[in-house]
Amino acid sequence: MTESTTIELRINGEVHSLEVETRRTLLEVLRQDLQLTGTKRGCNQGVCGACSILVDGNSIRSCLSLAVAMQGRDIVTIEGLGDGARLDPVQQAFLDAGAIQCGFCMPGMIISAKALLDKNPRPSKAEIRHALGNNICRCSGYVKVIDAVHRAATT
Amino acid sequence: MKYLEPETLDEAIAALASSDDARCLAGGATLVAMLNAELVDPKVLVGLRKIPALRGISRTANGIRIGAMTTHNEIAADDRLVGATELLRSAAGQIAHDAIRHVGTIGGSIAHADPSADWPAAITAADASIEIASAGGARTVSVDDFFLGYLQTAVQPGEIVTAIDIPSGPQHARGHYLKFSRVDGDYATVSIAIVLAMDGKRCEYIRFAAGACGPKPIRVAAAEERLLGTELTAGDIAAAGDLLAAEADPVDDVRGSSEYRRMLIPRLLSRAIAVVGRAHHD
Amino acid sequence: MRCTVLRRRNDTNTDTRPVGDAVGRSLPRREAREKATGAATYADDIVVPRMLYGAVLGSDYAHARIVSCDTSAAEALPGVKAVLTGDKLGGKLFGKCIEDEPVLATGKVRYVGEPVAAVAAVDRATAKRALQLIELQYEELPAVFDAEAALAADAPPIHEARKTYVGRVPPLDNPNLASYTCFAEGDAEAAWAQCDVIVEDKYETPAQQHMYMEPCSTLAAFDRAADQLTLWTSTQGVFIVQYGIAKWLGLPMSKVRVIAPYIGGAFGGKGGLTNQQIAAALAIAAAAPVKLTYSREDDMTMMKSRHPSRIYMRTGAKRDGTLVAREVRIYLNTGAYADEGPFVNAVAANFSRGPYRIPNIKTQSWCVYTNHLKAGGMRGFGVPQANYASELQIDAIAARLGLDPIEVRLKNALGTGDKFLGGQNVDHGTLARCLEAVRQASGWEARRARPAVQPGKRRGIGVASATHVSAMNAAGATVKMNEDGTLTVNTGAVDVGQGSDTALSQLAAGVLGVSLDQIKYAAPDTNFSPYNHQTGGSRTTYTVGVAVQRASENARDQIFDLAAELLECPVDDLELRPGGWVGLKGAAGKQVPFSAIAKRSLYTSGGPVMGTANWLYEAERFDPKRTLTAGFAPNAVGVFLFAALVVEVDVDEATGKVEVVEAWAAHDVGRAINPGAVEGQIHGGLVQGFGFALIEELLWDEGRLVNPSMMDYKVPGAMDVPYEIHAIVLEDPEATGPFGARGVGEIPLNLAAPAICNAIEHATGVKVTTIPATGERVLRSMLQPR
Repeated sequence: MTESTTIELRINGEVHSLEVETRRTLLEVLRQDLQLTGTKRGCNQGVCGACSILVDGNSIRSCLSLAVAMQGRDIVTIEGLGDGARLDPVQQAFLDAGAIQCGFCMPGMIISAKALLDKNPRPSKAEIRHALGNNICRCSGYVKVIDAVHRAATT
Repeated sequence: MKYLEPETLDEAIAALASSDDARCLAGGATLVAMLNAELVDPKVLVGLRKIPALRGISRTANGIRIGAMTTHNEIAADDRLVGATELLRSAAGQIAHDAIRHVGTIGGSIAHADPSADWPAAITAADASIEIASAGGARTVSVDDFFLGYLQTAVQPGEIVTAIDIPSGPQHARGHYLKFSRVDGDYATVSIAIVLAMDGKRCEYIRFAAGACGPKPIRVAAAEERLLGTELTAGDIAAAGDLLAAEADPVDDVRGSSEYRRMLIPRLLSRAIAVVGRAHHD
Repeated sequence: MRCTVLRRRNDTNTDTRPVGDAVGRSLPRREAREKATGAATYADDIVVPRMLYGAVLGSDYAHARIVSCDTSAAEALPGVKAVLTGDKLGGKLFGKCIEDEPVLATGKVRYVGEPVAAVAAVDRATAKRALQLIELQYEELPAVFDAEAALAADAPPIHEARKTYVGRVPPLDNPNLASYTCFAEGDAEAAWAQCDVIVEDKYETPAQQHMYMEPCSTLAAFDRAADQLTLWTSTQGVFIVQYGIAKWLGLPMSKVRVIAPYIGGAFGGKGGLTNQQIAAALAIAAAAPVKLTYSREDDMTMMKSRHPSRIYMRTGAKRDGTLVAREVRIYLNTGAYADEGPFVNAVAANFSRGPYRIPNIKTQSWCVYTNHLKAGGMRGFGVPQANYASELQIDAIAARLGLDPIEVRLKNALGTGDKFLGGQNVDHGTLARCLEAVRQASGWEARRARPAVQPGKRRGIGVASATHVSAMNAAGATVKMNEDGTLTVNTGAVDVGQGSDTALSQLAAGVLGVSLDQIKYAAPDTNFSPYNHQTGGSRTTYTVGVAVQRASENARDQIFDLAAELLECPVDDLELRPGGWVGLKGAAGKQVPFSAIAKRSLYTSGGPVMGTANWLYEAERFDPKRTLTAGFAPNAVGVFLFAALVVEVDVDEATGKVEVVEAWAAHDVGRAINPGAVEGQIHGGLVQGFGFALIEELLWDEGRLVNPSMMDYKVPGAMDVPYEIHAIVLEDPEATGPFGARGVGEIPLNLAAPAICNAIEHATGVKVTTIPATGERVLRSMLQPR
């Protein structure tokens, strides 16, 4: 049987009060209840990285996070980057480097890059590859993606 | 499905007892994936994240104590894990990827006891003791008695893994976790976890286990004994590797055939010994 | 009245110099900002009122008769709005080449995962619960999984009615043979005697999965009052879907509208029909919009893969390396349904000679039904399989003769004016240029002679050539001027991520001398867009590009007529000036903006400016005087492309695991409209090829997929690719292409596997003739006594 709980989630600086069933993941709640559809579902198994979000500054999988267990955490989705008018420098670097192809993995990829650069503003190429190793992209071969993060780090 | 989030261990034990079909939710890296795939459907989920006593790494009289809810990344980043216990730091840093290491916990992983995961072999070679709590109090289980089979442990219904104790081992002991996988971040095809101490040129202490090579970590006392007191020549290591491989019971799966895994065991044991051996000379 | 004057196929484009600076620059993608902010809408992101959720039940058996199917419990579940089975759908078959496939299985199932029933319900959980309530009884039939075994006389018949099937491929007597193709030139039998060296081997390639990041998704809405069906779907071509849906449902196409939102990758896997029919049938049955988004597992078990192949190849050469003869037998395992298999099969045969002159050749290929997931088009379309075998044989010949592998390739490379297998003319035979480029960039000689030494590893360097085509079928374009002088380009071409929206906009901008900001690229919508065949065949920049260029020229002619009136001068005295101006040649100050021209067209003279163009790439026929063809051998489909790759690898001595250390790839693209996007295609195609070469492989156990998840089926991640992949872009302009451009989408993938396996051989002395070259395969080969 399903059981719902009322929870409060802090997402992109805004507190949302929601009624959710225990089994629902944060990914589902973001996409269905809050229409924050920038966060994508690629595998629902924690492997592909398309559902990456920032939680307390770390890039984690929203598909492996039960919404009920996320109260009190600081959640940032791709929609929370930049200030509306201006892109976050990481997003801008992805544009400038020509790193974006089909784009489906990109919100998650940019989130992981953001998490890296916030902690390590001058990462080496090895550190960039390592940080993005959990975000699968089937289009780019990662060359321009890594270049984008490198650009964001050096500008 | 009901979600409870106790703030003390006693509350957690009570919550776990509230249903005959209750499960603990640690980091969720495995359990939520299983929920998504509809492989499990417990009546009660007991979230452990708010219990401070389950978290963190501390020194003990003869080693290191790791709370069950400590994440892989917290372990990978702890520079107190040196010598023999460096094995744990090394293993933690190679589990899946950063995003998983931020949420996944050592307690969650060993309680799940997936033999292809990294912790079972690592804590086996590290000679860990596992502390388990229940309404009746706490008990400690040696790692050699902890893993019973595929997804099976000594943890009984109503019990919670609370901490893992890792001895520092003999002086000059070094630990290492050698993981071989198809691609970065995959489960291991074969892993070798090892702690080694040398007395001059001779092997004074050695303990190792192979991961992903059977229903539980493969540790063979005879293989270790074969190397004790030797100079760890290629012949010694090959002989010990063969003893280890002979006891392995690997499956054929997408990560490699059973035969390939058996072939890799002595080869990777040799490489793992070279890594810790080199560390001894540093 | 101005009428559209169109140039014909293969007319050389006269305007080879763009106006302004839009062409040839690595401009950011038009939609990059939307994609970087999460605002870009993909099919599963769309929500409409009253929307239901679909779910599909797959077969548990590889081959079984459906004895009974009871859906009553599922229908009784609260929240369920429609339950469909094959019987309810009437059993009408569909298929691009052969109409052999039911939308939901009828009578029997032919692979594990084959859709047998579908449900629409108020939410996903209810739909999935309903699936569990469907009671199916099967009677298992003997199954066959190997292509060669399926051709045996006593193999279990998979398509008993093969003889009666309709489609582009003629009926055949063998119930397990989808199609057969043969090409022969010269006299291979007689030529073996002239050869100083003959190499022969068997090669196997895997069922690679497309693994687009966005699983298939369709939102279908049926408006009963208006009798209109609308689909938002993740597809490579809106018109292919519109036609396929209308035909299958028996509706006129005027009642079916298909819209492509952003597409999360495709690589051939979203060509033709995916899950659109099930979504549409559910929407009609439920009289409500239905969203059907596949889970990753559904997608991997129900959609398709690249054709696994087994290839027997023999090649002979003279002592100096001149290739003399080749004989090839290709078996493609197309799984339970033909899909595009017969085309793939024909292309594999057509490309089995590789980019070389081999005067005597006989190639036969069989596209065979088995009880596996169906296989269809995937990036490379049969060429990665054939080229893998071919390029390994070139290295084998070089080794036997003690010649440098690049030299042997150069000696036999197709040049301008040579004929391809089949007799088509090679207009730009630039393989030698590509080979020279990678030889120089990689420092081939030094690395080949003295591989770097590292403990525990063996280093090697290898090379491969490739060819492919670019073009295929029909395209149209409109370029209309808005009242403020900006322009809207509309083609119906779907950008699946490769960047065609941007490249096509750059082409229009280059003809009209405007900036990209002055051009809107309209999203593909069958209601509004000109017809376009789907994205695929490396065709969009070339084929749709020609239509865009010509439509833009047509608009320019109209603009000039209006400008001539405004500037009171002859049209011949006018020129375009960057930024949207028409000026009088030689008079810097004398000019009018597009906005004034637009106003004049709308209110004073001529009517709205609307450039249009349409064309059909007329495929060249095979030359019957030169080439004997038999079986299903459709015409050649485009202009030829050439490329070469050098890769350096490390092989782990303990485990056999191969790591690509560095790669140098040269591609002649004619003209790079957007060089950054071209590089992106090369990088991405190569890395998909690295996956094909080293790790990717769908595996079955008695017909059941054992790795239908991203956990078990691995594709390369950022840590698995080399630090340096050098994309070398060569530009030998294509006379028939827009500003000289040719395609580049697929050819990088053709290069990767053979170059890697040739490098493995250089490193270890071991020939890897089955890919993926997993650590296990390589180690076993290394340990075999030689």
